[in-house]
Amino acid sequence: MTSRAARTERRLAAALLVPALAVLAGVTLYPLAQAFILSFERRVPVFGIDEFVGLRHYAFLLRDPAFGNALRVTVIFTVASVALEVVVGTAAALALGTMRRWRAAGVGLLLLPWCLPGVVTARIFEWLYEPTGWLGIPGRALPALVVADVWRTMPFVALFAYARLISIPPSIGEAAAVDGAGRLATLRAITLPLLAPVLLTAALFRTLDALRAFDLMYVLTGGGPAATTETLTLYAYRHLFQTLQLGLGAAAAVLVLVVVGLVAWAHLHALEASEART
Amino acid sequence: MVTRLGGLALLVLLVVGCGDGGAAPGIELVFRHSRMPGENDPLPALLREFERDHPGVRVKHEPLPWTADVQHQFYVINLEGRTAGFDVLMLDVIWTAEFARAGWLLDLTDRWPAAERREHFEATVATAMLDGRVWAVPWVMNVGLLYYRRDLLAASAFAPPRSYDELASQARVVMERAAERRLGGFVWQGRQYEGLVVNILEELWGRGVELVGDDGRVLADLDGAAAALGFRRRLLTDGISPRLVTGADEEQTRREFGAGRAVFLRNWPYARKLFESPTSPIKGRVGIAALPGGGALGGAHLAINRATRYPDLAWQLVRVLTAPEAQRAIADAVGLHPTRPRLLEPDLQSIFRAARARPITPWYQTLSATIQPAFSAAITGVTPPRDALATARLQLEYFLQP
Repeated sequence: MTSRAARTERRLAAALLVPALAVLAGVTLYPLAQAFILSFERRVPVFGIDEFVGLRHYAFLLRDPAFGNALRVTVIFTVASVALEVVVGTAAALALGTMRRWRAAGVGLLLLPWCLPGVVTARIFEWLYEPTGWLGIPGRALPALVVADVWRTMPFVALFAYARLISIPPSIGEAAAVDGAGRLATLRAITLPLLAPVLLTAALFRTLDALRAFDLMYVLTGGGPAATTETLTLYAYRHLFQTLQLGLGAAAAVLVLVVVGLVAWAHLHALEASEART
Repeated sequence: MVTRLGGLALLVLLVVGCGDGGAAPGIELVFRHSRMPGENDPLPALLREFERDHPGVRVKHEPLPWTADVQHQFYVINLEGRTAGFDVLMLDVIWTAEFARAGWLLDLTDRWPAAERREHFEATVATAMLDGRVWAVPWVMNVGLLYYRRDLLAASAFAPPRSYDELASQARVVMERAAERRLGGFVWQGRQYEGLVVNILEELWGRGVELVGDDGRVLADLDGAAAALGFRRRLLTDGISPRLVTGADEEQTRREFGAGRAVFLRNWPYARKLFESPTSPIKGRVGIAALPGGGALGGAHLAINRATRYPDLAWQLVRVLTAPEAQRAIADAVGLHPTRPRLLEPDLQSIFRAARARPITPWYQTLSATIQPAFSAAITGVTPPRDALATARLQLEYFLQP
């Protein structure tokens, strides 16, 4: 009796989910499938070129030094900027937490860089960096972009962490103080572990964004100098929109997707593990 | 990315569709062009004149997006859809061959008399042609040229250099004698973008090396090209070109030279007016000369969308806008240079005559986008010039396979 009711319920739930799933499939799976199919073709629509080439684009990408370089640049950019964002963001959240006055003003100020459109941020940094010449020096340009990215997105991490911070009951801290824990010990043993899941989630969002980084490089360096700031997305863009080699660009985009997917999967695993611990 | 392209196309279709639905009685021609620099846009007056001579015809002119890259994208998306969203279009000289091969432009060979073609500079007409047919009419022209500090060169009794080697040695002498410690020798555009391709092409021409040979082969003379790039690299390592060069575009180099911090500058003619403005620190001390081997040709043509419903009217509009009077009006109002020698200031004529076109090929965008990182890697010392070029050649062989 109960099991039959449960079955009907489940069937109803499935039926109700179908429209949502269909929409999701339509807007994500269909274009994905199209991009996937495109990646097996040499298609330059402008010149009427359209032929099946199988895995040739993938073979080319794997031996194209420019693609390997783009992969390396993307990984370095992502690791550096996400790590810095988490550290600086957490510090900003903790600082906000200790403020007695002007907290609202602090949060507002913090939000400002996050609210600016990426292209505007890029222009601001273009002016800032111009006298230094860093954007033209290999080895300086990428760190300069990381700094701009950290400035722009650190508030996202900070607000995530701050929201969790104010939901920690003060009694826990008071209990720790009664037990004789210093501020550093409290931070290490109580605050940071409680923040960890939130920070991991924020880091996941930021990682997925950073892996697809585009606007800062597009405006500030165009991928230069010497392609030292050419990310995977910029590489794909170059072929999709500048050289109009749609097939090759699609193959690059598919590989970006694979990389992003793998990282997301690894992150979710880490998140589950950390939740299991707490 | 693919979906974004599709989305953009859809959006554009929607917008275009709306425009057609609300069409006023009479004929409307649409003219797409980039914004005129400065404040005295001469176009409205020229278009009003055209409308007066063609009763019942209205010309709507719509500005293109700001940057060349986005303009190119705009055209590709719209023209590939074969829509008649606009009739007359302004295009960068390097796009003509691509758009012609794609079948987007109306063939103008039989409309434009050969005698009139000869009124224009030969190099710019060449960029309006592909496979012996004419696809566009030259509208405004640009040429890379050499700015030099007349006072500093005169102090060492130098005439403007006639080779890049001479330029480098003159710069070295002037820098050594200069009281100003921060004086740079030669500033040029070394950021990884189209401007870098232009600068390196000029260096190649100065040494008699071709990027694309007559047979269509790319970088046939790898050693010659590597030597030219090596020379630019040495300019930087020897301190003749300041370090800012590897990240600089036209405006950054213009400001550096304009502040009196360099002996030589490679730039377009627009900078001249700014150097001679009343507040300029180098006012009256700037000379101009042709670049050794000739400057790269830039500028814009007018062409007709093959999907236009009014090819004859569109042609009339092109004629009016490219007429000598119109070119003169544009030159007077916003300083864009005419494509006819007789309309040009005398001191610019020989410089414009020495102009050379960038490789005229439908694949120019691919060529340029692929070779930019290679050039940049070579001048910044990240990769030895020969290796960087060899890699670019391999990539191009894959992209340009027939």
